Amino acid sequence: MQLLDRIEARRFVGREFLLFLWFESELFEGTLSTVAHGSFGFWIERRIVLSAGKEVTQIKGAYPAGSREAKESLQRGKLPELAGIHVSLREHEMNFVLKADTLALSGLSLAAVLDGGAEEEGAGLPPAELLGPPQRKKKGPARGESDAAHEAFYDRMQRTRELEELLEALYRDFLALRLGPAWEAFVEPMLKTWCAGDEGTELDSDAYREKREHALGGKKRR
Amino acid sequence: MPALRGSLTYARFFVEGELPEDFQDRSMRAIRLRAMKPLEPDEEALERSGWCAIGEPFELELGHENVFYNEFVNLGFRTDRWVIPGPMMRAKMKEAEAAYLQKKGREKLSKREKTELKELVAKKLRKQLSPSMSVVDLSWSLNDGIVRFFSLSPRKAALMMELFQKCFPVKLVPEAPYTLAARLGLSKAEERTWEELTPTLLGIGDLA
Repeated sequence: MQLLDRIEARRFVGREFLLFLWFESELFEGTLSTVAHGSFGFWIERRIVLSAGKEVTQIKGAYPAGSREAKESLQRGKLPELAGIHVSLREHEMNFVLKADTLALSGLSLAAVLDGGAEEEGAGLPPAELLGPPQRKKKGPARGESDAAHEAFYDRMQRTRELEELLEALYRDFLALRLGPAWEAFVEPMLKTWCAGDEGTELDSDAYREKREHALGGKKRR
Repeated sequence: MPALRGSLTYARFFVEGELPEDFQDRSMRAIRLRAMKPLEPDEEALERSGWCAIGEPFELELGHENVFYNEFVNLGFRTDRWVIPGPMMRAKMKEAEAAYLQKKGREKLSKREKTELKELVAKKLRKQLSPSMSVVDLSWSLNDGIVRFFSLSPRKAALMMELFQKCFPVKLVPEAPYTLAARLGLSKAEERTWEELTPTLLGIGDLA
């Protein structure tokens, strides 16, 4: 099988991953963890799109994944195609849309809390007039401008890389569960119960967490 | 300039292959060779892609200082394309057809004449217009072996990959659930399950 065929044949894993993130963020009340990162805030916000074939459901709102329509879509066999996600990691607040089929990020904003006050993404950037607009010129920007633009770029890339590492760690944990005996033993049954969303059915998050930690090597998570 | 400011929307590509020792010098030669050459109205090409400085689409003289940002290779991927608005083309074509027929004293154009006339009209219009331009930032983290391409357009990604792989002696693999799993590494047991993995059926739907 060619690489492109293999890529296409495993697109569904991205949707299952997004479903798993949704499930765990709800089960653990918006706090996830990885061994490398410890605990961090993680929840779906603003928008979720679920689909199966040509059937598409888009839900918008402060907490779209919590709506009855979202669970009903799952029950009808749809899986999340993309979702707006909020991550709160140390002093960084990040919002983005995760596209399940490609794992691409869009609209990533890197708002940070610095010196005790919330600052918008780009606060460390030089003034706009230093960066653009693009001009026809033979010589490069003055050294001060260039250094400031470079610094801003490194800062953005550093924070982007931190987020990517977090998502990779979550994906690695998901794969460990998905490709091991844990999936059939307790993850899939719990996921189905959660999807069914029957009123009065309590999900035992502590028992799930304990089994999960054991399956992932007994390391303390959450 | 999404790489430099504003919110970030991008696709990742994993870089496969070893970089030669003289990578920076070789790369600069290859990058300069494939720097964007703006389209001219008289030439055959209707579309062309090439490199420009990141964030500066008109900066086509590329030097080490505006490409290498420490461990990053930063470039703009610029594509120029002639786009003639349909109504304008139709109106000018109508005029040209009428003038041609009057000159020849005929009532109808052959298919070949029509095609040639269309090309002449398009060339004339191109002299009055500017090509449409799109620029996408690209940032290659050499340490991580990751290219971040700040667009999610599959067409632009395909064009970029073609140019990139002509320029650098490495292979680009698009990120996807499959390729990320391979990059993170699976155990033998996981690989066996992975090869035969089928979708989880939640068992209650009728669409999946």
